[in-house]
Amino acid sequence: MANLTNREMPEGFVEIQMALLDAIERADRTSAQAMLRTWAAAHGPERLLAEVIEPVLAWIGEGWRRHESFTIAQGYIAAKVIEDALDQIITPSQLRSSENATGRPAVIGNIEGDFHSLGRRMVGIFLRANGWNVHDLGNDVPGSLFVETALQTGARVIGVSAMTLTTAHEIRKLRSEIDNRKLAGRLKLAVGGAVFVVCPDIVDQVGGDGTAASALHAPRLFDVLWEASVSAARPAGLSAAQGVLL
Amino acid sequence: MNGMERIMGTVAGQALDRRAVAPVLSLYGARLTDCPLELYYNDTAAYVRGQAAIRSTFDPDALFAPFALASIGAAFGSELQYFADQAPNIKRPAIRSAQDWDHITMPDPDTHPRLLYFREAIRQMAAEHRGEVPIVGVMPAPTDLPALIMGLEAWLETMLFDPSRAREIMAVTTPFFVELANDFFADGATVIASPCAFVSPVFVTRETVVSLSRPALETALSQLNGPLMLHHGGATISAHLDLLTGLPSVIALALDQKDDLATARAILGPDLVLFGGPAGPTLNRLTAEEVQSVCLSMLVDRSDDTRFILYSCGPDIPWDTPVENIAALCRSTLLPEGRPRCGAPVHV
Repeated sequence: MANLTNREMPEGFVEIQMALLDAIERADRTSAQAMLRTWAAAHGPERLLAEVIEPVLAWIGEGWRRHESFTIAQGYIAAKVIEDALDQIITPSQLRSSENATGRPAVIGNIEGDFHSLGRRMVGIFLRANGWNVHDLGNDVPGSLFVETALQTGARVIGVSAMTLTTAHEIRKLRSEIDNRKLAGRLKLAVGGAVFVVCPDIVDQVGGDGTAASALHAPRLFDVLWEASVSAARPAGLSAAQGVLL
Repeated sequence: MNGMERIMGTVAGQALDRRAVAPVLSLYGARLTDCPLELYYNDTAAYVRGQAAIRSTFDPDALFAPFALASIGAAFGSELQYFADQAPNIKRPAIRSAQDWDHITMPDPDTHPRLLYFREAIRQMAAEHRGEVPIVGVMPAPTDLPALIMGLEAWLETMLFDPSRAREIMAVTTPFFVELANDFFADGATVIASPCAFVSPVFVTRETVVSLSRPALETALSQLNGPLMLHHGGATISAHLDLLTGLPSVIALALDQKDDLATARAILGPDLVLFGGPAGPTLNRLTAEEVQSVCLSMLVDRSDDTRFILYSCGPDIPWDTPVENIAALCRSTLLPEGRPRCGAPVHV
């Protein structure tokens, strides 16, 4: 694995953050869980996300962007360690009161006909770690269900995943659903999946408002799209080429 | 020279009349014959007709047996989803986690209908084209097969967090891989192309390759009765190429479009055949002129490389790719500047 801990650490990185990076590098979920539990007991679980997990994720995400040697395995290990913490250390009420909890709802799912859940699940975990209230609709989700769920939950961002070119084109139906219901200003569409890495130009073709370089970058993309939704309705004629590429 | 002579000449490092070209056109045969894909991926005769159309239309130097990895997963009980314009995919894996692995029954290549479809396609294609064009059998590497049975996430989780269980599982998939691959050879496959994503730095770490993927490949490939082309599986493999040298039975590596060909050659040495080319999934969005230009620049770059074959990286060339784009890819090998400058003179 690319050596995380031998890289130059960001200024201010503390021992627990270094140790968590090391545990992720070694794929050692047990040690990671134990050290996070100990830290949470001493400092408060509600501080865990903002003071430990989020800085570590930001560091890994930046490394992913800069170093092609970074692997899905590394991202996946990080996701599982974070998921363990979210499920077993931090209670839902503590999560809501944590410093970085926005409580913003987000809807994610794989588009109709797509069954490749890995990336979507990682996005969901990283969104939760960044304080989002995630509504994961799973695989094979029709466009209408994305929109209905977003309206019911108050979500302003829909994250839709597709692995292949064929299933990516199904996202157009979701785009049409949003546009036909005149929700383009309110609902922003984040798209992702392997095919968008190979063919970034299809973000525009399928009507995406933005995409991210990896699952780790999804929270930043969702933040940007949320703000775009709040600040202004999507102007008529704004092409997705003017959308966000993180 | 015909396709068989050109491919074998490349393997032997001999001079060629032109560079060999082998775009991945398993799917595209259905488009040329206007065949519904559920029929195409279940009916041997329909598939073989499609590949005959590929040969008559493009005259490539190799023909692919069904590139339908999910169908092999279906032989283990995974549920398939068919599409109107792409190969089938796994809708629901046979099991959900490594804990359920003991419930899996190995399908018999001699009797299971899904596996017989592959075998019969190879037999018929070999009979129809034998001696003129190589038949490439396609099957997932033993490292990747479990992902088609339990799903990508469950398999990745097992490899990363429970390596001993991963070894146990690959100890089961390896004999299956060996048996089916050797059946493919007996049926007439010239070479097996084996997508192997679980050696890629995009998917797994160097440690995982060293401790799990490579040992499994060594065990499996040492038992093959024929040559194998290790396929990048849809992700770049450059950063791990040094871990893939010296694997038994491997005569070729099919690289991702992001892999640098010169770097790969430097790492792998002169003896392995390298497959390189544009990304298959992008060919439907380029013009024929652009396709030819991209291919030609690669051919010029590789003009001194004795063992290079032009192909299309990644999965199948998309359904909606214009015929003239594929023709442009193939035609680029006919252009004078695309010809190899290496090897002994050809005497026809």
